[in-house]
Amino acid sequence: MRKLYIDRMLYNVGKFVLRVFALSVLVFTISRLAPGDPLYAYYGERVEKMSVAQQEQARERLGLNEPLFTQYARWMQGACRGDFGISYQYKTDVKEVIAARIGNTLILGGLGFLLIFVLALWLGLFCAWREDRAADRIICKIGTVTSCVPEFWLSLLLLLVFAVWLDWLPGSGAYSVGKEGDAADRAAHLVLPLAVVVLGHLWYYAFQVRNRLLEEVRADYVLLARMKGLRGKQVLYRHCLRGALPSYLSMMAVALPHILGGTYVVETVFSYPGIGTLAYESARYQDYNLLMVVSLLTGTAVIFCNMLAGMISGRIDPRMRIHGLPGGGEVRG
Amino acid sequence: MDVLKVENLSVSFYRPEGEIEAVKNVSFSLREGEILAVMGETGCGKSVLCKSILKLLPDIARIKTGHIYAGGEEITDYSEEQMRKLRGSFFSMVFQNPMTALNPCMSVGAQIVEAVRLHQPGLSRRERRQRAAELMHLVGLDHPGERARQYPFQISGGMAQRCVIAIALAAQPSVLFADEATTALDVTVQAQILDLFLELRKKTGMSIVLVTHNPGVAARTADRVALMKDGELTGVGDVEEIFEEIIHRQNVI
Repeated sequence: MRKLYIDRMLYNVGKFVLRVFALSVLVFTISRLAPGDPLYAYYGERVEKMSVAQQEQARERLGLNEPLFTQYARWMQGACRGDFGISYQYKTDVKEVIAARIGNTLILGGLGFLLIFVLALWLGLFCAWREDRAADRIICKIGTVTSCVPEFWLSLLLLLVFAVWLDWLPGSGAYSVGKEGDAADRAAHLVLPLAVVVLGHLWYYAFQVRNRLLEEVRADYVLLARMKGLRGKQVLYRHCLRGALPSYLSMMAVALPHILGGTYVVETVFSYPGIGTLAYESARYQDYNLLMVVSLLTGTAVIFCNMLAGMISGRIDPRMRIHGLPGGGEVRG
Repeated sequence: MDVLKVENLSVSFYRPEGEIEAVKNVSFSLREGEILAVMGETGCGKSVLCKSILKLLPDIARIKTGHIYAGGEEITDYSEEQMRKLRGSFFSMVFQNPMTALNPCMSVGAQIVEAVRLHQPGLSRRERRQRAAELMHLVGLDHPGERARQYPFQISGGMAQRCVIAIALAAQPSVLFADEATTALDVTVQAQILDLFLELRKKTGMSIVLVTHNPGVAARTADRVALMKDGELTGVGDVEEIFEEIIHRQNVI
């Protein structure tokens, strides 16, 4: 049993490493095949004033002239030692650039994710229980409208109302100047971006939960559960939720990096110093080293979360446990 | 003594297109320890009849007229909460497809224990398991300890139906509705389950309403037969009587 557990862990770790490796090859190749000149990121407008020989020399120095494979090998060599190169745009170590910003995104995206996770489940249950009654219908309509409103527009609207007209909340940045360590100040800055993140995503997930539950409610086993003498709500929570939860968890596991990394519109509108803006800029200016690390961070998160989702689903839904793993036959009995 | 009595029961489904009468003016009674077969073609309202007695029909279905007496008490206008208390303890039901009737995400043991716990909340965890094992033994499931840990997809249809029956029997109901309980099973397993019903009746003294479209099943198991057609009962009587009448009718035509 213990050996089996270790086997499975090794298998999963191996799978994880392979996938991250494949992702790095992919991002590396695609970013370099994309049109554009990385020298612009490094020198900005000055590139146009440089002679062809100077440009060539700069390329040589940055290692951009070598064959793709050699470049990748060099990058990999450095990456293994923890050296991810410098950002062409910021001219400092990539790690520093990211470290300065990742905390902000984690707070915004992480809190947003938690709120979405809990609220979507609650809202889905609420609506499923009241299927087709007034409350459900009204919420469905409001939800559809809010999820269709573009994030940048909602951001601007909230900014106008709460930051400009009412002047209740700050409208930009992650903290006021000189108040970096003040938790209350940070919280006040978070409210509006967080509201946009949550409102933008919430209904999509809540609606999935609702529909998934309605599918379960129509299953035959519900009749037997009611036949036993369970109350309708008990059937919903103890039986139907159990059937809907695995797909919800895998959906949310996939959503985690999406919500965490997908905050860039919000970050841009609120001038929130996070990693979303960084990803966008690095792709735009061919800041290869930065782009690699930002994409790999998000990608690794996606891969990790997917595997996590698989494991969690297996815990909840026994049918997913039996196939595909070495020595997976232990399930019987 | 009649454990269950139905008088002039009519049930309709109210849909946007109009009213659909599924059960029309049905009256019958069920004696203690009796097996009554409700026989009729598919779609004649057999299932709706059972589910309307248990009030397990969707909201669009309503009892239009009639009275239902359970154990001498009228339950026609019982609220959902009052009905809930009767379900499982006074009457219980076994469904057509055992593979979908069990929750695929719970071990069969957990599902039986859940039923036990609902009706005997005072039991300790160990006593509940003990009781579940007894029930499994009663319905002829071997190795209850091992079996309890299995999930519905790991057992055969016959076993699953036995589990469903164990759940139905958890609170020793007086009436068991078997809604096409053997239809989805193959012939040898059908015979085993029917024998199980006969045996359970002998052991517990409960009455059974056996819904079927199979005359063989009715003739083999039932004491009395009720014939149903287009939502109406066309005849109730002892097995011999009814089958003779059917043969007679066939000859006349």
